Amino acid sequence: MNNQDRQDSVQKIRKRIEIHVGIAIAALVVAMGVGAAGFVYWGAYNVSALQQHTEPVFTILNLALDRSIRQRAEEVEPPPLTPEMAEQGRLIYQNKCVQCHGAPGVGRDDVGKGMTPVPPNLAHTAKTKNADEIFWPIKHGIKMTGMPSWQFTFTDEQIWNLTAFIMRLPELSPAEYQELVANDSVEESTDRNDVSASAPARDTALPDPERGKMAMYGYACIACHRIPGTVGPHSDVGPPLKGIGERRYIAGVLANNPENMVRWLRHPTEVDPLTAMPDLDVTEQDARDMAAYLETLR
Amino acid sequence: MTARTVCLLLLAPLLATGCSSDEAEPPPGDTQKGRAAIREYGCGSCHVIPGISGADGHTGPSLERIAKRVYLAGVLPNTPDDMARWIREPETVDPRTAMPNMGVSESDARDITAYLYTLK
Repeated sequence: MNNQDRQDSVQKIRKRIEIHVGIAIAALVVAMGVGAAGFVYWGAYNVSALQQHTEPVFTILNLALDRSIRQRAEEVEPPPLTPEMAEQGRLIYQNKCVQCHGAPGVGRDDVGKGMTPVPPNLAHTAKTKNADEIFWPIKHGIKMTGMPSWQFTFTDEQIWNLTAFIMRLPELSPAEYQELVANDSVEESTDRNDVSASAPARDTALPDPERGKMAMYGYACIACHRIPGTVGPHSDVGPPLKGIGERRYIAGVLANNPENMVRWLRHPTEVDPLTAMPDLDVTEQDARDMAAYLETLR
Repeated sequence: MTARTVCLLLLAPLLATGCSSDEAEPPPGDTQKGRAAIREYGCGSCHVIPGISGADGHTGPSLERIAKRVYLAGVLPNTPDDMARWIREPETVDPRTAMPNMGVSESDARDITAYLYTLK
């Protein structure tokens, strides 16, 4: 009898402990939720580019970045990289990369300073990476860094040229680099401000709406338009593109058909000299793909 | 209830209390009259206009959140004055536009502008 009583009271106590632990865990979860929400809402996190991450956070982010690139670069098959390719790549490098990454003996421009993460010195990067790990981030860009994707500007072939040049950087002295650049200004035969426009046109393929959707990010369309199917700043600079597939006019001036859409996307200021929509050097194929995507928006 | 739902529930009132301080002075004009004028001039046959029944045209762009739009017709910075001008004389703003001059009166243009500026 006495024993039975004891067992009952033990069970009661156990149950009470269980309830208390449950409540404590629930309270902890709620407190963490409130803390996290408050952290976000009251702006506790300092987004200043000069407030570097803490050392452990920096290390983890870097590791995640390296692993992510390595994982994806594995599927890339690098061609043999020749000195001729590197020479072609140098012209692109001088035009598009030096501003942020600098070059041997050449400092970066102001846009490449004061950034977090800081754009790496690529001579250093080239020493520790394989060619495919250089190629991949150039082609695809890196989220939440200043690194854009260049696949809507350059062909794979051009990006490999660029990769070839970057792989050469560690063995290039500042004097040698200066010499290469100096030879250019003597010749001045190539229009160096137009390396991307001289890109050989991609073979015109059938319009691909999925690629067109990616181009909405690649050309930064989402910075001004709300585009169904994309995630972005939801900006109302230009009109929302919901229903653009069945809109009768483009920009209020052109009949909406695929050809006119391609023309508008490529040369908006030719279509309407007053428009705020800028020419973004959209290639024919990219414009076709974009038009194909926009046509699906009904 | 998952931790995430709890989080969201806690976040909701926080969000509801904030972000509503960028109220500019509403433009002059009567929004109710503006709504009537929009029906009268048949703007909805070319534009989707929230709050106007039957305004579901797809000739021109949708006027959702037009008050927040940076440019009018892609060419004019969006101010109440310019909006009224655009409504009255679109061809003077952009000679190439497909938007027709509907002979909108000055006061109707003000009222329509007042209504459109409620679309945020």
